[in-house]
Amino acid sequence: MSIEIRNISKRFGNFVALDDLSLDIPTGELVALLGPSGCGKTTLLRIIAGMETPDSGNVLFGGEEATHVHARERQVGFVFQHYALFRHMSVFENVAFGLRVRPRKDRPSEAEIRERVMGLLKLVQLDWLAQRYPSQLSGGQRQRIALARALAVEPKVLLLDEPFGALDTKVRKELRRWLRRLHDEMHISSVFVTHDQEEALEVADRVVVMNRGHIEQIGSPDEVYSSPASPFVYQFLGNVNVFHSRLHGSWAEVEREGDARAAGSIAFVRPHDIELDVAPIAGGMTAGVRHVHRIGPLVRVELEHDGETIEVELTRERAASLDLPVGKTVWIKPRQAKVFAAEATAPAGKQPFLF
Amino acid sequence: MTVRRATAEPRWVRLLLTGVALGFLFLFLVLPLIAVFWEAFAHGAQAYWEALKESEARSAMLLTLTIAAVVLPFNIAFGVAAAWAIAKFEFRGKSLLTTLIDLPFAVSPVVAGLIFIILFGAQGFFGSWLVANEIKIIFALPGMVLATLFVTFPFVARELIPLMQAQGRDEEEAAISLGASGWQMFWRVTLPNIKWGLMYGVILANARAMGEFGAVSVVSGHIRGETNTLPLHVEILYNEYNQIGAFAAATVLAFLGLVTLVAKTVVEWRMRKETEMLTADLPPEKTEQTPTVATERP
Repeated sequence: MSIEIRNISKRFGNFVALDDLSLDIPTGELVALLGPSGCGKTTLLRIIAGMETPDSGNVLFGGEEATHVHARERQVGFVFQHYALFRHMSVFENVAFGLRVRPRKDRPSEAEIRERVMGLLKLVQLDWLAQRYPSQLSGGQRQRIALARALAVEPKVLLLDEPFGALDTKVRKELRRWLRRLHDEMHISSVFVTHDQEEALEVADRVVVMNRGHIEQIGSPDEVYSSPASPFVYQFLGNVNVFHSRLHGSWAEVEREGDARAAGSIAFVRPHDIELDVAPIAGGMTAGVRHVHRIGPLVRVELEHDGETIEVELTRERAASLDLPVGKTVWIKPRQAKVFAAEATAPAGKQPFLF
Repeated sequence: MTVRRATAEPRWVRLLLTGVALGFLFLFLVLPLIAVFWEAFAHGAQAYWEALKESEARSAMLLTLTIAAVVLPFNIAFGVAAAWAIAKFEFRGKSLLTTLIDLPFAVSPVVAGLIFIILFGAQGFFGSWLVANEIKIIFALPGMVLATLFVTFPFVARELIPLMQAQGRDEEEAAISLGASGWQMFWRVTLPNIKWGLMYGVILANARAMGEFGAVSVVSGHIRGETNTLPLHVEILYNEYNQIGAFAAATVLAFLGLVTLVAKTVVEWRMRKETEMLTADLPPEKTEQTPTVATERP
């Protein structure tokens, strides 16, 4: 079922959590709400679930007005960051809960409940844990049970609030791939909230990048990464070098657009989009090697130019062929850069967001 | 030279501290308890039994039990409601409510009793109206129930607020999103999570309700066989130099105290066990159980 968010605003006291935000989520898509903490992503998810009421604006489910439909009647599956399993119920009873609380006329028989619950537990591959209690499960198992519980009521929409946030890296990676496959099996509209850009880019069909209560960009994972719509998106998704064009005039000149020159502009270049060589490069500039970090398959070279730090990422092979001792002078040149007008990058007096 | 842990005190210090603590307990708790039973049985079991069988003593016991039985359901309802409101919602005047809940602990029980005299006494605010409608509150059961309610109100709420705050709202929100109604959420999720804390609060409130003297004394009027609770009965008999009767009644109160103590210990033990169970170390995630999506649909 599709979800439409129309001009939603929400304040908590003086804090503006959502500021006139609109968003369409088509049927069957897996959408990530991505942003730093406090950007309003969880509030938006809770408004979709009916656990929070917007101050103004509408929520539509499948084209029908749902803003004031009670959370109980929205047929939404909600998965919490800290699982929120019922601690005094067994795994089986947790999953069965949504079926047992139905009005008597809609309630399935005990045999049907058993069949449904065991089917779901098989789906999440934890049917062997049916009689255990939540406290006896690991974090990853708990989250899968929470998912099975949410699916038991056959929700039209699945909402997940930082579903893997409390898990360790390895389990998190396994679970998010699994979620992706599960989503493809179920064909249910899903929205998940995350502050982890890698998670959003890997799992989602579409990524909604949020900041300070509004949407910065909506697009496929590839779009938001390779053509960020705003300086915020650029800085939030991955590492970035920020060049103030006055300092590095010759660089920013290359791709300057429109009236960016008048306003003063800032160029963003990803560390892996910088060419580095020990021999002079035409149109490049020089910089001194300050540190060389080897991080897994990558080598991150920290350079200094005019008192500013520039990061460049190279493959191991490339770094090995160059021989880069600390203190050596090298030539660098951006392969591609994106230039934004300076005032767009951050409000006056505030540092641009550094990841 | 023996190696001593930095946190361990010398042996004599430990012995002295333990001795002082135990000696104090013996002097102030165990000895009086023994004295009560000693005095009660000073003229033998027969006299003790007679003193308890006497009709005024029996009516005092019955009244004490009646008051406790009326007060406790109210305490449970108010306590849970107040704790729920404070722990799970944000609203104006929340800190005022939190302070007010503690008021009965801060106010002297005698003052609490006087408040009800001022409100419902013959010369009180509602006095003439109550007299006109022939409703008796002061010097009758309703007044004693009100006074007891006042002094016992904080116990349940005090016990539940930190517990409910620690548990948060996630489970309840999960229940609602799964289609539960408010009542279903309360009975199936909220109540099971707080049951031991609630029990603990009820036990404390019950002990106070049965033992309350000051507030009840002010509103009771000490009408023998009618508005005498067990503690009041003990005082009256004692003032009349009826040692056996006074101490026999006191043994009943002491016995109730012991029962409370045992019940409290059992509940504490259950609570601790449950907390241990909930915070138990997690078994390691089974990595060989890498989940793959089964082909069947639920």
